Amino acid sequence: MSELNKKPEDFAIFSGIGCSAKTPHYINAPGMHTLHGRVIPFASGVKLANPNLTVIADGGDGDLLSIGAGHFVAAGRRNVDMTIIIHNNGVYGLTKGQASPTLPRGEKTKGLQRPNIFDSLNPVALALSVGYTFVARAFSFDVKNTKEIIMKAVKHRGTSVIDMLQPCPTYNDVNTKEWYEKRIYYLDKDPTWDPVVKVASSEESEKKYLQAIQKSLEWGDKIPLGVLYQNDLVPSFGDRISDHISNYFEVPPSESPIVNSEGDPIARMEKIFGDRLIRR
Amino acid sequence: MPLVDIDLIIGGPQGGGIDSAAQIVIRAFSIAGYEAYGIREYYSNIKGRHSYFHVRVKDSPVRSLRYPVDLLVCLDYESPFVHMEDVSEKTKVLYDEDLVNTKIEQVLTMEPETKKHIIEKLRQSGFETTLAGAVNYMKKKGATPYPVSFRNLVVAALGPSKPPARYANTLGASLAMALMGLPSEFTSRGIESVFGKKKEVLEDNEKIVKSGYDFVRTHNSVNVNELPVRPAKEKYILTGNEAIGIGKVIGGLKLQTYYPITPAADESFFLEGHDYFEPVMGEDIDVENEVLKNMGVVVVQAEDEIAAIAMAISGAMTGTRTATGTSGPGFSLMAEALGYAGINEVPVVVTLYQRGGPSTGLPTRNSQADLMFAINAGHGEFPKIVYSSGDVPEAIDDAVRVFNYAEKFQVPVIHILDKNFANSFFLVDDLDYSKIKIERWKMGENSENFERFKLTEDGISPMGMFGKNIIWLTGDEHSELGHITEDPETRDAMMVKRMTKLETILKEIPEEEQVEFIGDKKADVTLLSWGSNKGVILSVFDKLRAEGVKANLVYVKLMNPFPAELVKRYLSTSKTIIDLENNYTGQLATLVRQNCLIEIDNFILKYNGRHTTDDEVYEGIKRILEKKENKVVMVRGA
Repeated sequence: MSELNKKPEDFAIFSGIGCSAKTPHYINAPGMHTLHGRVIPFASGVKLANPNLTVIADGGDGDLLSIGAGHFVAAGRRNVDMTIIIHNNGVYGLTKGQASPTLPRGEKTKGLQRPNIFDSLNPVALALSVGYTFVARAFSFDVKNTKEIIMKAVKHRGTSVIDMLQPCPTYNDVNTKEWYEKRIYYLDKDPTWDPVVKVASSEESEKKYLQAIQKSLEWGDKIPLGVLYQNDLVPSFGDRISDHISNYFEVPPSESPIVNSEGDPIARMEKIFGDRLIRR
Repeated sequence: MPLVDIDLIIGGPQGGGIDSAAQIVIRAFSIAGYEAYGIREYYSNIKGRHSYFHVRVKDSPVRSLRYPVDLLVCLDYESPFVHMEDVSEKTKVLYDEDLVNTKIEQVLTMEPETKKHIIEKLRQSGFETTLAGAVNYMKKKGATPYPVSFRNLVVAALGPSKPPARYANTLGASLAMALMGLPSEFTSRGIESVFGKKKEVLEDNEKIVKSGYDFVRTHNSVNVNELPVRPAKEKYILTGNEAIGIGKVIGGLKLQTYYPITPAADESFFLEGHDYFEPVMGEDIDVENEVLKNMGVVVVQAEDEIAAIAMAISGAMTGTRTATGTSGPGFSLMAEALGYAGINEVPVVVTLYQRGGPSTGLPTRNSQADLMFAINAGHGEFPKIVYSSGDVPEAIDDAVRVFNYAEKFQVPVIHILDKNFANSFFLVDDLDYSKIKIERWKMGENSENFERFKLTEDGISPMGMFGKNIIWLTGDEHSELGHITEDPETRDAMMVKRMTKLETILKEIPEEEQVEFIGDKKADVTLLSWGSNKGVILSVFDKLRAEGVKANLVYVKLMNPFPAELVKRYLSTSKTIIDLENNYTGQLATLVRQNCLIEIDNFILKYNGRHTTDDEVYEGIKRILEKKENKVVMVRGA
């Protein structure tokens, strides 16, 4: 926060329900611990009403990709300027370790009676396919690189999503810290890796998209981390609103007066709803 | 008795311009100085199914409808069948004579159950099951048939190249107005008012008006008296949906979220069309400031109702006047988030348009069956306001009021309405802005440890908001700072703090905003009711009073917290109390029993989804006063 040169009041930190959902209570900035699966619409609402705030939404993999999957998909289409962090550990920790949507089929973590019979989904590929304009992956035990990735995500104008690999030490005894440490590598170690779209809707942008999809499929012996895709050329939802309401950023809903200096409403029937007046 | 008091129904296929025809009638009469009121009835269907408009025109204020109608305008082959019970000896039935041989089996848009009922009636009365049979059925009831060849009139007016079906609505409206005796220039002006001044459209319609009026002049089998033109005032024509939208914008709405659902979505569509406007900033504000020349309302279509209310709740915590609008199925999805708004004391407004339930129920029809659900929605106990409106003029004021309540008491407010209200058309004057008050929360002084949930006597903490204060919200029980706690003493204190608001609300909302008591101070009969039936009841009172029956209405607006003392006092003004609602169980009566310990014995109920009319309410009251029945179910309407 301080490196972004912002005051605590400039932020709004959101969370859903689950272990990750305690996050806002640990940060000295305005926070909203919301409902299971609903962190995205709650976070979007604040940003729509006050686009000057920096909004970060924390959710678990169950929160964002199971009960809240519909919102996760819709958020890609809106591109509200905010950051979503998927705290991905493959299990529902607070309810004793049931399988989450990212746990592969056949895995048997500690809390399961039998190996998981659901297939897992791919959060990165899902995010790319529904239109997220910034998609990254990070590993929570690597604090330094994770911080850099979060900073980049927050600076992106549009919805950024980070698939945060974050082992559950209590219930996921398969995908542990050590398990990940053997497999992860950073994409930007390769100097030719460039995830940023330079020309909108072009051959180049398609290439960047396809290379990200391809990287999203890499999971097993090697797990890529870092920014997989970034497209700053798609207008954010706020930009789309301001195409119509041109002073949206200067006078956002939260700052917009509703009464005038005489204390009367500034909105008047004849000025706004004159089309319903039966003129003679 | 009023000199002019005409009920008419215009029926036709959904998508066939029925709305325009009704708008022409209402606008033309308004321009000629008359009052008008109407309701739209329609199927859950885009095109083809039978829809109709029931309109009443009067020379004095009007806000209710009656059966039988004075004029039935049938723009399709289904109307004569489905409306054949809506007529009497006073009715003129205008229909397309080219369709008389249509057999009921050929009416593809009609539902099999409806067909069966109509066939039975026609056979029992010895009529053929054709359109001609339906006309004869009405003739037997004393109605006067008025056959017209729509095709011939359109072709005569515009030549053979124009499709007659496209002009059925303007022709139907013109014939109807000619039959009602409205001078043709007002019909032309009504059409212009609906379709605008496009030259070709105007020219064609002018010819249609002329041919309609000429036809009526030369086919004078029915008696037509030319209506006098009255001094007129410019009025707004507004539906209930629009009235709520207007009230919200005037009240300071800045963010509206919604997911499409009938009959709520019309409000948000309307707002989307009026979301950027020139404000009246007053004397002191720098008018040269370009940035303040226009003001916006952000209207967002969410991915579902859960998202809609979630966005509205968090939006409200930035100090923005925020609302969402929905109907039963969507409201069901919002229940969990309502509890979140409750425990976090969020000033958010949910506009709930009731429609026929349960489940998908009757998606385009009226109901008042969600009262108990609105009051009890959300698990756990938390304060919320449920506030009801019943007609357009009061709804504009109430839409401002509910924002004031939400912010003053920092609670979610459910503004409960119904489909009849949403889809009714009213003529209203411009507002008296001096009467519109905007009241907001008390703000707290910003400090390092800002206590968003500070314990207070009246339960209301200083407001804190995103962007201004460092606050925390959580759906868990929380401390004054807003952090999670399970400490039993804090839990007790927070429960008391929140629930105390219910008393504060009853204390601070003025009595006349809680319950309206209308009519005679001491009466023979008291009606207990709410929502869109207000107009009908008051209209029936005029008739009862003419017969020497004294009546009053206890019209409840604040449903939660329930104003028990006030309702008790008002209900003591007569011996016979009748509960009138559009549901099966009499939910308002249940509330009265629960809160006032008063047992209501008499009911007039309606749950077939159609609008309530004067005649059936009058009959119901009479039957109960004559002690023939204590529960009357109203069944009118096609």
